[in-house]
Order: sequence, then structure tokens, then C-alpha cells
Amino acid sequence: MIAVIVVRGGVLPSGADEAVAEAGGSAVLVGDGVRRAAAALVVRSGRVRVAEIGAFAPAAWAVALAPVLAAEDVVILPASPDGRDLAPRLAAALGRRLLAGATSISGDRVVLVRQGGLVAEEHEPDGPFVATLVPGCRGVEPGGGPPAVKVLALEVVPAGDAEVVEVLAPDPATVDLAEAARIVTGGGGLGGPGPFAVLERVALALGASFGATRVASDAGWAPADRYIGTTGVTVDPQLYVALAVSGAVQHVTGLGHPDHIVAVNTDPSAPLMGMADLAIVADAGAVLDQLADRLGIDRDVDA
Amino acid sequence: MPETFQDFDAVVVGAGPAGSTAALVLARAGRRVALLERGPYPGSKNMYGGVVYGRVLDGLLPAWWDEVPAQRWVTRRSTMVLTPTQALSVDFRTQAWGSPPYNGCTTLRPDFDRWLAGKAEEAGAVLITSTTATGLLRQGTRTVGVRTDRPQGDLRAPVVVACDGVNSFLAKEAGLYHHPEPEHFTLGVKEVLGLPRHEVEKRFALQGDEGMDIEILGGTGPVPGGGFLYTNLDSIAVGVVLHLPALAASRRRPEDLIADLKAHPAIAPLVAGGDLKEFSAHLIPEGGYEAMPGVVADGLLVAGDAAGLCLAAGLWLEGVNFAIASGQAAAEAAIEALRSGDSSAAGLAGYRRRLEASFVLQDHKKLRRAPGLVLSERVQHQYPKALCDVVEALFTVDNPAPKRGALRAARAVGKNDGVRLRDLARDLYTMARTFG
Amino acid sequence: MCQKWVDHRPEVDPLTGAVTTDPRTSAASAADHAALEWGLRMVEGWGGELLVATAGPAAAEVVLREALAAGAHHAVRIDLEATATSEEVAAGLAERLAGADVVLCGDWSLDRGSGSVPAFLAAQLAAASGLGCTVLALDPDRPGEVRAERRLDGGRRERLVLESPAVVSVEGGGTRLRRASLAGVLQAREAAVEVASAPPLTPSRPPLRIGPYRPRPRSRPAPSAELTARERILVLTGTPADRPPPQLLVLEPAAAADRILDQLRTWGYLL
Ligand SMILES: Cc1cc2nc3c(=O)[nH]c(=O)nc-3n(C[C@H](O)[C@H](O)[C@H](O)COP(=O)(O)OP(=O)(O)OC[C@H]3O[C@@H](n4cnc5c(N)ncnc54)[C@H](O)[C@@H]3O)c2cc1C
Ligand SMILES: Cc1cc2nc3c(=O)[nH]c(=O)nc-3n(C[C@H](O)[C@H](O)[C@H](O)COP(=O)(O)OP(=O)(O)OC[C@H]3O[C@@H](n4cnc5c(N)ncnc54)[C@H](O)[C@@H]3O)c2cc1C
Ligand SMILES: Nc1ncnc2c1ncn2[C@@H]1O[C@H](COP(=O)(O)O)[C@@H](O)[C@H]1O
Repeated sequence: MIAVIVVRGGVLPSGADEAVAEAGGSAVLVGDGVRRAAAALVVRSGRVRVAEIGAFAPAAWAVALAPVLAAEDVVILPASPDGRDLAPRLAAALGRRLLAGATSISGDRVVLVRQGGLVAEEHEPDGPFVATLVPGCRGVEPGGGPPAVKVLALEVVPAGDAEVVEVLAPDPATVDLAEAARIVTGGGGLGGPGPFAVLERVALALGASFGATRVASDAGWAPADRYIGTTGVTVDPQLYVALAVSGAVQHVTGLGHPDHIVAVNTDPSAPLMGMADLAIVADAGAVLDQLADRLGIDRDVDA
Repeated sequence: MPETFQDFDAVVVGAGPAGSTAALVLARAGRRVALLERGPYPGSKNMYGGVVYGRVLDGLLPAWWDEVPAQRWVTRRSTMVLTPTQALSVDFRTQAWGSPPYNGCTTLRPDFDRWLAGKAEEAGAVLITSTTATGLLRQGTRTVGVRTDRPQGDLRAPVVVACDGVNSFLAKEAGLYHHPEPEHFTLGVKEVLGLPRHEVEKRFALQGDEGMDIEILGGTGPVPGGGFLYTNLDSIAVGVVLHLPALAASRRRPEDLIADLKAHPAIAPLVAGGDLKEFSAHLIPEGGYEAMPGVVADGLLVAGDAAGLCLAAGLWLEGVNFAIASGQAAAEAAIEALRSGDSSAAGLAGYRRRLEASFVLQDHKKLRRAPGLVLSERVQHQYPKALCDVVEALFTVDNPAPKRGALRAARAVGKNDGVRLRDLARDLYTMARTFG
Repeated sequence: MCQKWVDHRPEVDPLTGAVTTDPRTSAASAADHAALEWGLRMVEGWGGELLVATAGPAAAEVVLREALAAGAHHAVRIDLEATATSEEVAAGLAERLAGADVVLCGDWSLDRGSGSVPAFLAAQLAAASGLGCTVLALDPDRPGEVRAERRLDGGRRERLVLESPAVVSVEGGGTRLRRASLAGVLQAREAAVEVASAPPLTPSRPPLRIGPYRPRPRSRPAPSAELTARERILVLTGTPADRPPPQLLVLEPAAAADRILDQLRTWGYLL
């Protein structure tokens, strides 16, 4: 088993340590700034090789990496944006099956999440395969310190990939969210844009930033840069208040480790209710209105 | 005005039971008809209690019962009178309603409405979903089509049939609503509670696809109205129908009134443990015959709830059958008008005649005093209490005191419960005339 | 341009994980709608024609008709079973999409949710890929060239330039599909939909087990040796000493709001 980690600007992608841990410690780091990135691995690692091959080019890289990986029966990438893009290309180049979006990977068992994180499928692979691991699903025990790395010589032949023009630092619009110590989040169960306008003001009154789930952001109720999770903004607040949020893996894994979680949901068995210190079964929209009243917020005024 | 879409003979607005029936009949007559529905599919947003009386379909869709997406066939019907601590039921069961041609079935509106609209489509109607009629296209006072919320969304046709449900926006725009006062509406509120199929059958003493229908009087506390409880396959629908102005005045929330009804000792065991799957509310036109809006204007017909054709007076909760019948009558009148080339109000007058001749207006005329009567304080509170007290007195075994006999019990109770003989006589007379 | 027919509100049994889908609530996802909108803008800006493709059963044609109503020119359905893998879906689609300047997809499907179909398409079409884009910029004078921005992890973003042939997948938030005109809707009802067969599926093992998702136990950093045994256990089990046992309450909205504010005060977030 081996992990393939795409590095940009010396920064590890989310889920890198977990992928390396899941693969038992051996890894190939490719991209730019790979040495710096390797030094940032916290997980106990074994054989780590690095290849400094510049800007992300999945088509070309897949061709270059295939011979290196051919002897590995299991190739694991974190399901971060770059890992998710490279994995199918690798599977195609290696002529293998792809098992995408796994929460657990071993040689003979892979658990995949489906249906927005509500369903788990356990697969028994029928040959060597490539898999992506959902970041945040397993955690890691740190150990061992920075690995000893070997340089891997890779010859990359351009293959018509997109040209990377620039990599932008986190959007200032979301910085408050990424760094917030308190976050109030609304989910799909709030049912419309109206409650989000109230949510924003309630958050403000509590000294918190407001967030959303992807369902809410896709529906257009909250700006697209406000959704929290693996594919959105990753956060690490002390206080997390979640209104009508189910708690799908992809959302929860972007949450960090809040000290205190409050959840309001009509469904007592929603995963986030199980994580909460204070879980309240109630209609979140109505609770939001009541909070607004108590915090002296005029709900009818448009923000 | 773009001329592109004058090519419908009729536009029907709303794919509820009224609209789909109108479109079906028009399409069968070879007319090009557009059926507009604002929801993503017919029935997606529609709610009601749960029972459809399908006899009205016999002529339109023979053996409809083989196809209708029924949950259960009602073979047991109960009318219940409640006071806070008492319940009196008249419970009727007949196996005749459990086999063709059947009487009524419980069915879910997303299923039923989609099925009926599908029939209209099969006949050639053009169903256009996710499209809302936003107004009438008019030439002077004459309706010549509708506007929709889509780009280039005007639809022109010599006849528009407004089947857009209670409080019809289109009928109002055409000036047909004379009495849009709140007292002519009730609010229907309903919960659907999931229960395992065998549990439904056990609690309501049903077998196979048999179903039960309970209408309830006196279970709505301070707000005049009624209640209902219907059985689906693996869920039950329980709800209340509430007089709108009284509800507002009472400052009670409808969901609390349902909760009260569900907590009544006679109802609680029937609904216990059900998990809430759906909560919904909808207005019901309940003004009766006297408050009916106009149903015909130049180029426009109004059918179903839009025309106030719903019977929600105590013993009955029927609207779908009236919607279907009125939709059919509207379509027939439209066909007549299209044939003669006169779709003015005069040319469409056949609609009102058809309604008068059928059960639609005959029932409404007959029951025109029912809403006032059923919602009166006496029928809501006094009589239920008195009735229950009489029965309680009759069946309470007071030994060693001898039995009192029904009449004496009634007299004593009448005095106690403040029932005035004069009122009772008058109400009984009205009841006899209304329901008799 | 790809559109997938998928249930937006599938019912998942919390005990067995059994998924019940309903054709009535099935349609293209927000992401696929956003992709369609970008496709329409491309043909408006650059000329050319928009072909919309789906792989699935006959019922899936509703998404094609919706796309035709909004302005797509041609539609094809690849007849494919639901058991097909992402790679097989992509192979089926690729046969008909070969030769396209730009292929647009949604970033993730709601059910499979892997985002791998567009990546496989890119591999099979030997095309550049820009996946999970949030905004695209199209220059009317440079047909076939797409400038895109997409999210990376940690809140970073990336700007890309893609030359055709390219596969671009887009996020659902942000870009709304235009509303189809009434004329479009009526014409789409009658429009022809081509049906193509897919390459045969290779038999693959069905999942051993399907169940509700349960988080796996997370590994944590080992507790500091300076802590007492009890504290170490608490750290390991994720229960810091000041963390009272979780509470699950059923409350009316007003009481719930009071309870939440009380709790925030207890924790010291509010005065
Ligand atoms: C590859 C991939 C990546 C993803 N990345 C992310 C990500 O980064 N971030 C993210 O958030 N999601 C992400 N998702 C989506 C994720 O899987 C879930 O679909 C999403 O998080 C669910 O959001 P939700 O809880 O708001 O909505 P829903 O799943 O719709 O849940 C709504 C919740 O509200 C409750 N509810 C309903 N009505 C009420 C009410 N009136 N009062 C109280 N509660 C109510 C319901 O019981 C339910 O628990 C991703 C999905 C995929 C496939
Ligand atoms: C709580 C309750 C319980 C009931 N129980 C029963 C019962 O058990 N049995 C019974 O027979 N009846 C019952 N009824 C009455 C019954 O629901 C109605 O009488 C019946 O639905 C009327 O049918 P309709 O076609 O006129 O209108 P609706 O069923 O209201 O259909 C109107 C349609 O028009 C669409 N629409 C509205 N406006 C527009 C627009 N501008 N553009 C496009 N489309 C539009 C709507 O989406 C809808 O599909 C009950 C009603 C309620 C509220
Ligand atoms: N069966 C399909 N037919 C058409 N497009 C599809 C299909 N499956 C996936 N796609 C496209 O690929 C995107 C990502 O899907 P997935 O890889 O399944 O997460 C979707 O948003 C669609 O645009």
C-alpha cells in the first residue's frame, strides 16, 4: 500500500497524514515544495519518496507515476481537491478500479460513503485498486518526527493539462470564518434564504461568524464561500452551534475539534446530534426566531 | 404580443383534481389543451385529509378502481362526538365498500393527482409543470389567455379554466369573488404519522386493504371546527379543520389544537407512537352555497376549490369529488362553446346549468345552512356535551337507584347543560332540512 | 455537457441504510444545472451547439428535456444500468462526447458523490481537466479557452486556463440555471432524444454490505505523560474533564432558545 500526496507550494493537502497512516506509512509526495511538505508530516512514516515536479498536471503526472506505482496493490490518495482529480487519472493509467470517497481502506475491504454521507458501502476489491480517503475520517496518532525522504526521479511529459495561472491565498471573505472561535451554522433544514438572514444577525449578536452546509449554499441561501467542510472552508472553533445540520461526514470533517457543540434538529438520530454537548430536538427555524427575539434582533429588517 | 402560442383551444390552470379532469375531457374531445401546474409535478404541493370518493369517476374512467393509486379502501366509517372527557361514536362498517365498485379510498395527493394528470396527458393534454400562471391576459373584460412566470410566457386561448384552488387568484382578478371574507374559509391542518402497517390494521380493526375514516365533532377546543383521522397503508392522517376568524381570535396555534386532539383519551391510543412524517396546512372554502363566487365570465370558467365547491360541513369532508365533477362540467361547457365559436359568458353559460343539474350544486344547495349550523356554539359544544351526558346517564349503573330511562335522563341533562328546548327544536328542524 | 438524473431527497433508513428513491423528486442537481448554464453561455458567446448527455434509464430523459427547454440543441441518452461504475459511465458518455471542445459536468453527483466521472471523462478524452470550479470566465474572442477558478483545501483557490479539449466541472452554488421560456418547454416536449447503447459492463462484485454511515473511531494524539491516569483516559476517550455528559432534550422553540442561551452563559460565551 502506498499513499500519493499532491503538494502545492510546500503545503500538504487536507487528509495527507491520514492517507499516509492508512497506507501503513509509505508515501510518494509529488508537486512543488515536496521536501518542506514531507517535513510537515506528523504521522509515523516508513518509506517516503518525494518528486519535485512543479505545478499540478494530473494527466501528465498519472503517466509518469504509473510505472512507480504498478507494483503496489493499493494506492491511496486523500480525497482533497487535487487527490480527487489525480486518482481517476491514476486508475485509468494503471488500468485499475477506483474506489472513491472511502472512510476505511485495507487490502481486502474498503468502506465507501454514499448519498451525501448517509450510507456506507463495504466493498471487497477484486484486484489492485486506487482509492481516495475522505479527510478527517480517521484521525492520526502523531509519532516518529519528520521522515527520512528519498528523492524519486520522475520524468513528466506534458499531456495537455490545464495551465495553473496562480494559487490564491484564502479569500478574505472567509477568513473570519476559518479563524473564528465561535461559529453558528445553518443547514438544509432551515428551508430558505429568510432564516439565513436571521442566522447571520444572531451569529453577530453571539460574537460568532456564520456558516452553512453545502446543501444550504448550493440552494443559494448562503454565499458559496460560507460552507464548512472538506470541500469548503475548514474551521476549528471553540463553540459550534448547528441549526438543522445533519452532520454528514464531509461537513463534520471540516469542523476541527470544537470544545462545545450545540445542535438543534428535528431528527434526534442525526449524526451531529450524537456529537453535540447540548442536542435539542426542535424546529430550528422557530428556535432561531426565538433566539433573535431574546437577543433583541428585529427579524423583519433586511440585513 | 407574440402570436406564437395562440394554438391552444383551452388553457387549464392548476393540475389538481379539477384541472386534470377538465384537461382530460377537453383533450378527449380532440381539443388542444394546455394544463399548467406550478409544482414540479401534479400533487407535489397539494394536501388534503385523505379520502377520495371515486363514484364521480365512473363515467370518465370506467374501472378506475383497478388503477387508482389507493392506499386503502374505506370499509369502516365512524362519526365521533367528543367532549374533553367523553366520546360517542357511531361506527359503521360494510364489506360492500371493500369490493368493486367501491365507495371511497384513502390515497396520497402526490400519487392521486399525478395519476389523474397522467390520464389527461395520455388523452393528449399538454402538461406544463413548474410554471405558475401569474395573471389573466385580457382584452377589455374578456379573458384571452394567461400570463406565466416563464420568459415569453403568455399563453393565448379562447377559454381559460381556472382550477387554481381555494382563494383563486385568477377568479379574483376576473372580479368573480364577491365574498372573500375570512369567515368563508376554514383552515385545514394535518399531520401524517408513520406506523407499521400491521399496527394500523390492529388499531383500527382492519384487514388487507381495508381502511377507516373517522370524522370528529367537538374535538377542537375553543375554536369551532372539526377533526378527522384517516388510515393510509402504513401511516395515519390526523387533522383539524378550524374556523378562520375564531382561530385568529383564540390566539391558539393550529399545531397545538392537533396536539390536543391527539391527546384526547379516545384518540391517543390510536395515534400513540406514530412518528411525524409531514405537517401541512391549507385553506378550505367553506362558505357554502351562499358564498360561492361567480363561476363564468367572458372566456373564463372557474372550477373546484377555486369556485368554492368544497363540502366541509361536519359529517362530510369532500372536495375532490366536487372538483372532478365541476372540472368535467367546465370542460363540457367549454367544448360546447368552442364548437359554437362563442366563448363569451353567454356561450359558456352551459357550465352553471350543468352544475345546477348535478350533485355539485344540488348538494351545496341542500347543505347551504350546514356551515353556519355546524360551526355554531351549540353544535360545537353544547350538544356534544349534552349527548354524551345523556348516554353517560343512560349507561351508568346507579344501583340501588333504579334506571332513569332515556327521556328523564335527557331532560335532566338538558337542564344541566343549558340546552334550551326552543334552540334544540329549531336546530333539529334545520338539521332535518339540511341533512335529511 | 452532462446531466445526471438523481433523487434530491432520497429516504435513507437510519437502521439499515436502505435507500429509497422516488422519480418524482429526481432531477438534475444544482451543480449540473450550473454546468448547463455555463454551457449555454458558451454557445451564446462562442457559437456552436450544445449537446446534452445523460447515462441512465429512460426515466432519466426528463433531465435532457429540461436542458433542451433551457436551450440545449441536441440530446442523447446512453442506456446504462444504475450499477455501472464511474469509469463505465464516463466510457459510455465519452463515446458520444468525443470531439467536443469543452465538456461540462457538475462537480459531484448527489448519490455517488465521488466527482470522478468528469475526471475519467478527461482521461478518456485526453482532455485537460478543471474540476470543482466556482466561476468561469469566457472570452468571446477566444472560443474554446476557459479561465476558471476553483477551490483548493484550506481556503486557497487556484486560477486555471484550459485550452480545448477540456473537461470542466462546476460547483452548484453561485450559478443559477436560467428559466426556460414557455416556447422552449413546449418544443422540448416534442424534441427527439437519441438513445445510444453503452459498451458492455464488466461484471464487478456488488458491495458486501450496505448500511447506514457510522463514523469510525478517530485516532487521537497520545495524551501528555504529565497527566494523571484518569485525565489521560479522558483525553483518549475525547471527554475533557470540563465536558459534562451530552444532553438530548425535546423542547418547545422558546424553551430551546432559553436553554441554549443559558448553556452559552454556563460555558462562559455570554455574560
Ligand atoms: C464529495 C462531497 C463533498 C462534500 N463536501 C461538503 C462540505 O465540504 N461541506 C458540507 O457541508 N457538505 C459537503 N457535502 C455534502 C454533504 O454530504 C451533505 O449532503 C451536507 O453536508 C448536508 O447538509 P445539511 O445537513 O444542511 O442538509 P440535509 O442533509 O438536508 O439535512 C438537513 C438536516 O436538518 C434537519 N431538519 C430538517 N428540518 C428541520 C427543522 N425544521 N428544524 C430542525 N432540523 C431540521 C434534518 O433532520 C436533517 O438532519 C459534500 C458531499 C460530497 C458528496
Ligand atoms: C385539511 C384538508 C382535508 C381535506 N380532506 C378531504 C378529503 O378527505 N376528501 C376530499 O375529497 N377532499 C378533502 N379536502 C378538500 C380537497 O382537498 C379540495 O377540495 C380539492 O383538492 C380541490 O381540488 P382542486 O383541483 O379544485 O384544487 P387543488 O387540489 O387545490 O389544486 C389546485 C392546483 O393548482 C395549482 N395552482 C394553483 N395556483 C396556480 C397558478 N397560479 N399557476 C399554476 N398552477 C397553480 C396548485 O399547485 C394545485 O396543483 C380537504 C382539504 C383540506 C385542506
Ligand atoms: N450517469 C451520468 N450521466 C450523466 N452525467 C453524469 C452521470 N454520472 C455523473 N455525471 C456527471 O458527473 C458529475 C459528477 O458525478 P460523480 O462523479 O458521480 O460524482 C455529475 O454532476 C454529472 O455532471
